[in-house]
Amino acid sequence: MTGAQTAGNSTGNTVNTVLGPVPAQELGVAAVHEALLSVFPGAQYGFDVTLDRAEIFETLAGKLKDFRRHGGGTIVDSTGMFHGRDVRLYETLSRTTGVHIVASTGQGPEEMLGGYFLTPQTNPPTPWPAEKFADLFAKEVTEGMVVPRVERRGAAGLVATAATLAGMTATDESLFRGAARAALATGVPVSIRFGNDAVRDLEVVLDEKLPAGRVVVGGLDRRDAVAAGAPFEVAARGAYVALDHVGAEGTGDTEDDTHVTDAERAALVIELVEAGHGDRILLSSNATGVAKGHPANDVAYSAVLTTFVPLLAKQGLGDGDVRRILVDNPRDLLSVR
Amino acid sequence: MSRVNTVLGPIPAEELGLVAVHEHIGYGMPGSELDTKWWKTPEQRYEETVPKLRRFHEYGGGTFVDATGICNGRDVDYYRSLSAKTGVHIVASTGFVGGDTALPFFARASVEYLTEHFVHEITVGIGGTGGRAGVIKVGVSRGGRMTDLDKRIYRAAARAALATGVPVLTHLAIDAENAIAIFDAEGLPLDRVLFGHVDDGVNADKTRDTWIAEQGGRIGFDTFGYETELEDPPFWARPRKERLDHFLRFIGQGHLRKVLASADANCSPLGWPGVKGHTVNYIFEDLIPDLRAAGLDEAAITTIFVDNPADFMTIQK
Ligand SMILES: [Zn+2]
Repeated sequence: MTGAQTAGNSTGNTVNTVLGPVPAQELGVAAVHEALLSVFPGAQYGFDVTLDRAEIFETLAGKLKDFRRHGGGTIVDSTGMFHGRDVRLYETLSRTTGVHIVASTGQGPEEMLGGYFLTPQTNPPTPWPAEKFADLFAKEVTEGMVVPRVERRGAAGLVATAATLAGMTATDESLFRGAARAALATGVPVSIRFGNDAVRDLEVVLDEKLPAGRVVVGGLDRRDAVAAGAPFEVAARGAYVALDHVGAEGTGDTEDDTHVTDAERAALVIELVEAGHGDRILLSSNATGVAKGHPANDVAYSAVLTTFVPLLAKQGLGDGDVRRILVDNPRDLLSVR
Repeated sequence: MSRVNTVLGPIPAEELGLVAVHEHIGYGMPGSELDTKWWKTPEQRYEETVPKLRRFHEYGGGTFVDATGICNGRDVDYYRSLSAKTGVHIVASTGFVGGDTALPFFARASVEYLTEHFVHEITVGIGGTGGRAGVIKVGVSRGGRMTDLDKRIYRAAARAALATGVPVLTHLAIDAENAIAIFDAEGLPLDRVLFGHVDDGVNADKTRDTWIAEQGGRIGFDTFGYETELEDPPFWARPRKERLDHFLRFIGQGHLRKVLASADANCSPLGWPGVKGHTVNYIFEDLIPDLRAAGLDEAAITTIFVDNPADFMTIQK
């Protein structure tokens, strides 16, 4: 699967969903950076945290049906392997709602890892190197995603990792390089959330010889990244630019000041298209379907379709460009190469 | 009333019998559950564990204190079934082996939240299992000094110990000045704290066992059996005779009432290979014979394995 990395046309390709490989052209409108069940690592043990599967299912199914009703086709849970991922629940949700669900492997940033990876029982306790992360992540694609200490299930559809906000740490770099190697070995794409320098962090995965077209950089609607021109630089290098906090403003979450407004985001989309980067843009909301142990945001998976697309249309973006951003770009990214 | 919380409910301290005060049914670093290289089927886990507990029971062992922290693979439902089927009392811990084994949710938590969590696990139960914790585990992270998170956990443990009456058991007794300062500030009498692993191969030289005992702390020689003579010793192993001499020397200084001893073995390790040939039954098969051979009388052996742990483990309200 590591062969030619043909850009663009992915007609014959498939995408790894929790219910198995699906022809890429069947994905429809896809949101690449969302969370289904999001559990802050360790919250599952908190005395005051309840995980009622029936209730979680009902909430998520409602949100997925809303997404589908507004024209959505595919949700990508980009929270990785250690943030509440529940593969069996996602299979049932996909069957019940008809929404394709792509789940992710990977983890990060460093602070979110378990001690097994940071202070292993060796002397000295050296954190895991890239090669071990690569193997851990790749097996979640080739052998299936783990249900801890029980079984493996379907293949992961992407590798998601993140850098520490204050700046990439040495272990973050191992995670990025490991994610890139796992993507190269298996053909699934990589999603990165940058620390304090989007372009620098992207360069780390590109340094592993992963083609830029196999990478999506999330959070490029962060104010600091927009101010630095990062969305254009990332697109110019050939990676996907995820403007993935659509609808975040006014939801009362703490990200209000961190990201640009929807109006500014829409203007940014137009500018990127005008600069010739229409085939690199992805839109998503980082909506937390159900959050445990951390604040949820109150954003619908359908926010892009219901509120943002009308904004884009008003600013003059044509239907063809909209379709390219919502359907074609995620299809090309998610197709296993 | 004398009470100790076991995973199957409170028992009178008089029923504890011989106590292995620092052991593990199975221990794994948080996150090791993601790595299939360590996975075992439930059949395999029972197969590795049940005979060791049965042997422990047959030797006259009464109580197995599981010192596994919250995020280290602690599995109270499993402990309950093991206890019910083997007749060994099992005491579970709340708390953490060290700050570096607390997952981010707890690493970011306040002292108040950690206290409330520990108290809940001691007085209400652990998750939905119905089993209550009988001891609070705390410890020093890798690196030799208490981190800020370690200190928050020690402080919360002290408060939960005062509120509930259960004791505190430490992983490592290095940097004890900082630990004791916290316990003193919170008003926890030091005889409610077992300062563990004073005998381990890496840290024994850096551990002020005599000083801790003089302050009133209990002293855990509780890595017995991790010996350099083993076929594949871990990095914290120590020559057998050196550890035994250390223990006997310490008792000889008048600290018999202060010491507890255990093997810190895994019945069926969860996230590491474990140490071949090392089990909780080292206590019966090697340690007690060694102590007898060194001239310790039966009364002293009973003090170490029965009376001291009963005093320590009894809920003090
Ligand atoms: Zn231990």
